Amino acid sequence: MIEHKPLYQAMITAVSQTLENMVFMEVMEHFDRSYDIPEEDLVWTSLLINDPVQGEIRLAMPGTLLKKLTGNVFGIDEGDITQPQMDDILNELLNTIVGLFMTNLLADNQEYKMGLPELGDGPLPEIDAIQLSGN
Amino acid sequence: MKRIIIADDSTTARMFIKRCLQIIGLGDAEIIEAEHGKEALAAAKAQEVDLLLTDLNMPVMDGETLIKWVKASPKLGDLPVIVITSAGNPAKEAQLLELGAHRVLNKPVSPPAMMDALADFLDD
Repeated sequence: MIEHKPLYQAMITAVSQTLENMVFMEVMEHFDRSYDIPEEDLVWTSLLINDPVQGEIRLAMPGTLLKKLTGNVFGIDEGDITQPQMDDILNELLNTIVGLFMTNLLADNQEYKMGLPELGDGPLPEIDAIQLSGN
Repeated sequence: MKRIIIADDSTTARMFIKRCLQIIGLGDAEIIEAEHGKEALAAAKAQEVDLLLTDLNMPVMDGETLIKWVKASPKLGDLPVIVITSAGNPAKEAQLLELGAHRVLNKPVSPPAMMDALADFLDD
């Protein structure tokens, strides 16, 4: 079962810790794997892991949810929210998730290097299945 | 009044840190915000500063390089530096303490963790 795999568990823990502490939101898994965020409401960002392995981690969510989170975090009305504020929160969420994920996954003495988050545009790119590993 | 530099390229992260400082009783501190290490270093050199809180992963100049510059500076060598990062683990923490960081905190930072890290600073 996928739930017992270390990558999966490390990611679930990282996402839960980040969302509960940063945006005060409880995390529940969505077991319907056929679910897709409607493209017109999709926002996403990505971050590269450079060491000890090379990979990319993406965070995607509905834009409507991101707007709600931004209003809660900054304590402002939805009408006053700016695009840079929304972009910044999305990037910071991913940055924190990836840091916790790598810390959860690796041994204490294992260093890692990660890049800076970069906002995506349009639909999520296809994942190159040939390069998928370790899952 | 304390003067504190917060170096982080994320507006959200800087806001969280400012909130933590307010909660632990440093709401009246003068906060100088910097988006990267180079900006933080310039601000620290330009005026008397009591504390530097810095992220690691930043564009232009990262936090590790910033600590090296601060510790190498005759004027800034004694400035307390606290790292607040999402890219920390025990190995990295040991390396940063060796460089001269006072403490290393993991994101998302909480008021109790900030309070603990700044205990010495708050006593002054």
